[in-house]
Amino acid sequence: MTKEEAFVAIIQEHEGIIYKITTVYTNSVSEQQDLYQDIVYQLWRAYDSFRGESKVSTWMYRVALNTAFSRIRKEKRQPRSVALDHLKIRQAEPYDKQFEERLRAMYEQIDQLNSLDKGLILLLLEGKKYEEIGEITGLTKSNVGTRISRIKERLRNKMTKKA
Amino acid sequence: MELEELQQVWTELSREVEKQKKLNHKIIMEMTQQKYRRKFDKVTRYETAGTVICILSAGFVLFNFDKLDTIFYQACGVFAIVFLVVLPLSVLRALKKIKAIDLINNTYKDTIVAYTKAKNRLLFLQRVGVFSSFIFFFVTLVLTGKIVHDKDIFQETEIWYFVVLVLIGLLFFSRWGYRMYLKITGSAENLIEDIKP
Repeated sequence: MTKEEAFVAIIQEHEGIIYKITTVYTNSVSEQQDLYQDIVYQLWRAYDSFRGESKVSTWMYRVALNTAFSRIRKEKRQPRSVALDHLKIRQAEPYDKQFEERLRAMYEQIDQLNSLDKGLILLLLEGKKYEEIGEITGLTKSNVGTRISRIKERLRNKMTKKA
Repeated sequence: MELEELQQVWTELSREVEKQKKLNHKIIMEMTQQKYRRKFDKVTRYETAGTVICILSAGFVLFNFDKLDTIFYQACGVFAIVFLVVLPLSVLRALKKIKAIDLINNTYKDTIVAYTKAKNRLLFLQRVGVFSSFIFFFVTLVLTGKIVHDKDIFQETEIWYFVVLVLIGLLFFSRWGYRMYLKITGSAENLIEDIKP
């Protein structure tokens, strides 16, 4: 298998990771496509240095989140209202209305967070343990725990205020 | 939404995403090339707009060519038309060539050779553009005076103040434009360096 084939196979297997990260960090179809391309390009750049010491998914999350962070830093993007348009770009068939509403509500909640917290909640929702989240983000396990507790608290407070 | 509910929606979303895998080999490798092409997109847009203006101006000179009644004016007219048509189209062609370099299917050596050739051509055209734009400026004044006012515009004393001002502006604009090209090509070169096997 050539380097190119191996890279393509990895991207194909884990394309969901890139998709989900781009939906969390962008607000429009064009922004999402740009970030998507940027992430694939950065993964290709970094592919040679990937030694297989961590899981492929861990490496991908790390590169993809760093690409998203650096893009946000460059663009100094401010949080804006959540448009659902860009969440639909890969749908063959539309989601049902109820799921779409829940999806919108979920992204609205995530969009309230700062970029690092967005990454943390995304990894938590992906079912990652604190240790792996730390490995991806470069935070210590205890720091991850503290930050996630704060995020949970904030989400709970928002719920209470809404109610 | 509590975390548990977020988790449910996220899991459902993940299931949907897994069902709809869309990337194929070609799309993935194209993405790695898109970034290189995009380096030249903005400058191509400016050059395209400039080319349209140049061609319209060439049309204007051509349309009024009968007003150019001496060999000198006619020579100026021909120079202006050639300058306004050939140079912008050559720049667009050079940009098209540099964007078309296939970073994925070429070997690294072929990419470097093709890129260096295309870059040198593009920068050469820019230098030609910079130097000939000074001559073109005088030709434009001659032609404007003749076509619009039917007189030798250099007989007017005030015109020289305008000439000096425009020449200074042109000097800065040319330097800025050429440096922009150097910056873009330099940054594209770094991208090519990234794909080094």
